[in-house]
Amino acid sequence: MTNREKLQDLLQDILLLDPSEFRFDLQRDAVETWDSMSVVAIAVGLQETFGYHMSPEEAIRVAGVDDIIVILEEKGISFAE
Amino acid sequence: MPAVSESAAEPCETTAVTRFKILRESALDAGIGALEACWSGSATFVFVPDKGVSDPWLNRAMSLIPPEFGEDCFGLLTSGSTGEPKLILGNKARSAKLVRVLHELQDSGPVSATVCVLPLTYSYAFINQWLWAHVFERELRVTRGFSEPDRLEEALAKSERAALCMVGSQVPLLRRFFPESAFPGIIRLHFAGGRFPQEHLEFLRGRFPNAEIFNNYGCAEAMPRLTLRRAEDAPDASQVGRTLPGVEMKADADKRLLFRSPYRAVAYIDSDGFHQVSDEDWVPTGDLGEELADGSWRLLGRANEVFKRYGEKISLPQLLATVKGAWSGDAAFYREIDPSGEQACVLVLSPEPGQQELRDVLMALRKRHTRPHWPLRIESLDFMPLLPNGKPDIKGLSDAQHKRLHWRQRI
Repeated sequence: MTNREKLQDLLQDILLLDPSEFRFDLQRDAVETWDSMSVVAIAVGLQETFGYHMSPEEAIRVAGVDDIIVILEEKGISFAE
Repeated sequence: MPAVSESAAEPCETTAVTRFKILRESALDAGIGALEACWSGSATFVFVPDKGVSDPWLNRAMSLIPPEFGEDCFGLLTSGSTGEPKLILGNKARSAKLVRVLHELQDSGPVSATVCVLPLTYSYAFINQWLWAHVFERELRVTRGFSEPDRLEEALAKSERAALCMVGSQVPLLRRFFPESAFPGIIRLHFAGGRFPQEHLEFLRGRFPNAEIFNNYGCAEAMPRLTLRRAEDAPDASQVGRTLPGVEMKADADKRLLFRSPYRAVAYIDSDGFHQVSDEDWVPTGDLGEELADGSWRLLGRANEVFKRYGEKISLPQLLATVKGAWSGDAAFYREIDPSGEQACVLVLSPEPGQQELRDVLMALRKRHTRPHWPLRIESLDFMPLLPNGKPDIKGLSDAQHKRLHWRQRI
């Protein structure tokens, strides 16, 4: 499973998204279930899945799926196809 | 008289420490005559399941009954809100009066028999079935319920102009064992003792094409009926209809339901001792509810099934209604404290859901509830643990060792 697929699975699971609703350019504002509690869940999920623990500042700064990818890539986790 | 009417020579045992009589459920293996004999005698008796309560507890409870309750009463066990046993004392004349009221309201004149799929020690089956059959001299057909589905199917198939009393949590068993069968001889189908299976009405009408279906609401302390409605008279499970004649109901400031009833229990014994109930007392039903504009009542949940989580009021019955809309198997919640110290719930499905079924449940939760309402986890078991009365065994659920984890919130 690629890192992109892992991230997609994780976010679908946390945000209760149907696969047809998921896109890598999805923004937080567009997802009703991307609430404050899910921010914590995403941070926990990223640590479990990718081994990286986001700082609270990073977690709050995340405005969309692309921001998560940028943060993880900065830590050496590749999302290249 | 009921068809099974042989009498027992010594149906009841008298305890060493009290002069009240104990009739154990197993005494009925030889016939219903043991119960007939106890009811017909003047001495107070208690009718108890073989398991679920210890002899020391029962003897202590019975030793607390004052002498003035030594005649014309009967006792049944229930579990209180703490899960501890509670002995409820009814009065024979009051209960017989209730049965006559129910007979009229449920148009039971044409009913010639009643088929039992619940233990008779359960107040619902005791009053609505055994006592009704006794008072109106109708046939009582005792079965072992869904523990012997072949025999149950045979009993239902052979029934003519019969009534059947079930609890909502038995409907998945009906689906599992008799998915295509039809029982035209059942002409009255009653539900009580838990959530009314409104979303299964189409299925139920397929299995019982000639049955009028009723939602009976009450509690053991009411011995046991308070309200009644026909299935078609309301669109959702939480609506329990209007109070029976003579019954008063009100909701206090916290929406706790309280009642006064001419048919109620006259006393109860719990871990705090003996409590007499008088005509002036407003007795809690253990549920939350509200009166609707038309004078009928809507339940908002068990008082212990509604709690606050992250400041939001969580109603397990409402969540269950959502789950049941997306899942046709068994479903139940147990409570848990999450890692941040907040009250939470865990959803258990049975049998194991497929991937799409799980997704349907999750999507239904997302559509109708915000995240604090979602369960901490979704787990499954091959079989839902049930209490003898057919309700989910919540303690058994939380203690079960072989639950499979399907989904969890990451907290």
